[in-house]
Amino acid sequence: MQPYELSLAQAADAIRARTLSPVELVDSVLDRIEKVDPYLGAYVTVTAEQARRAACEAEQHVAAGRLHGPLHGIPVGLKDLIDVAGAATTASSRVRADHRAQTDSTVAARLTAAGAVLVGKTHTHEFAYGLTTPQTTNAWDQDRVAGGSSGGSAVAVAAGTATFALGTDTGGSIRVPAALNGVVGLKPTYGLVPRHGVTSLSWSLDHVGPITRTVEDAALVLTALAGHDPRDLASLATSGPPYRPGGATELTGLRIGVPRNYYFDHVAPEVESAVRRAIAELESLGARLVEVEIPMTRYIQATQWGLMVPEATAYHERTLRTVPELYQADVRVLLEAGELMPAGDYLRAQRSRTLMQQAWRRLLEEVDVITAPTVPATAVKAGDETITWPDGTVEGVSDAYVRLSAPANITGVPSLSVPVGHDTAGLPIGMQLLGRPLGEPVLLRVGHAYEQTQPARRLAAV
Amino acid sequence: MSAAELTPPEAALWADRAGLPMPAGRHAAVAATANHIHSVVAVLRELDFGDTPPAAAYRAGEEKNDAAV
Repeated sequence: MQPYELSLAQAADAIRARTLSPVELVDSVLDRIEKVDPYLGAYVTVTAEQARRAACEAEQHVAAGRLHGPLHGIPVGLKDLIDVAGAATTASSRVRADHRAQTDSTVAARLTAAGAVLVGKTHTHEFAYGLTTPQTTNAWDQDRVAGGSSGGSAVAVAAGTATFALGTDTGGSIRVPAALNGVVGLKPTYGLVPRHGVTSLSWSLDHVGPITRTVEDAALVLTALAGHDPRDLASLATSGPPYRPGGATELTGLRIGVPRNYYFDHVAPEVESAVRRAIAELESLGARLVEVEIPMTRYIQATQWGLMVPEATAYHERTLRTVPELYQADVRVLLEAGELMPAGDYLRAQRSRTLMQQAWRRLLEEVDVITAPTVPATAVKAGDETITWPDGTVEGVSDAYVRLSAPANITGVPSLSVPVGHDTAGLPIGMQLLGRPLGEPVLLRVGHAYEQTQPARRLAAV
Repeated sequence: MSAAELTPPEAALWADRAGLPMPAGRHAAVAATANHIHSVVAVLRELDFGDTPPAAAYRAGEEKNDAAV
């Protein structure tokens, strides 16, 4: 096994045991980037020189017995919406061609403090306003979409060009590409991970979180990221407990909600059967399955759009007037159309969100976790714009990819996407675990327990 | 096209009122996108909100110390 193939937890154990040095690990990942990223296009920028320098320092700290923790010397890719002092935050957009971040974002600073080594900035759908990330190909099939908007981060983790990465999630942008590339993605509770220094798509829906190879890895990264920062007005006062799940796979007594509506409607048969098999696995670990009714489903897309469209347009107000021609066509027209949305629509969406949060709070009194597919279909071919369901319904790819993710953005509840197999074309399938606000420990425990029952996942062959 | 839909000239006028003058070549595409967005969000008008406040309601002078969810 090459160092780039190691999970974060495996690499951390090897570094702690001094059987692997941060320099070896970072070199291995940089070599892998050089070899496969020309085919994948996951990176906007690779910071090889700085990474090698940081790895040397990390190695010196190890030699001196000053280990910062499990992220010490671990290579990370950051979605290029996340500020790193002195580097451009391009948002994968020509609008940001001359950008230079003055200071680190909170998450970048916390990762550096934890000893992680930045290997590069990863592609996003322009300004995170889309679900495909066209610059990047799927790690498992280069004719297919990466998913988005954190496509570069998910593909890098899936292909071994980052040991872990960060993404952002406004309507599924961590979980969708994680599911489509066979890696783990965690959208934490709204406010748990500070967004200071992270380019916004929609303030009231945006989250930052980890994309990793395993659930345990996601827990290790979340532990380093969570905690209050007064510079993010939505930041919660809590940092939560240490998130690393224990070794037990016992789920006895846990009530797992299985939706009878919404989450299994218009879902590809192979996706549904893989997710239901995984749910059966959770039952065999002792969990009790409880059928649940998802509330207010008719209003999910309307609420998501009613919040996101005007907030995104507001964020881009200046540049839409000064350099509109620098935006890609798909993003520009959405930003322009957002100027035409009446305030009443936005307020209705905010009031609908209040009702939805209340209804979900009641729902999550009945069960501890809700299970669902992350995305209703596997990765589509690049250029495909619609999915046709067996009943003849035609759905836009982006609409389909957001559909099952949006409830967690609207309500702020945490959601963890875990790989649960591949379809017959070899494309990955993800299962989503949703929990109560600040219920990350339960999600991580369930996801980790499920992973323990499965053979170790392999990297995508590129 | 329903009566509630914006025509390209109406979209141009609305954009102008919002302080975003658009070249003529943009009017049709922006009108079509705005109409689609409208068709999605209009369903919220079915809801009886009663006294429900918007979720963005905030507390002044007090640090948030619980989940805004």
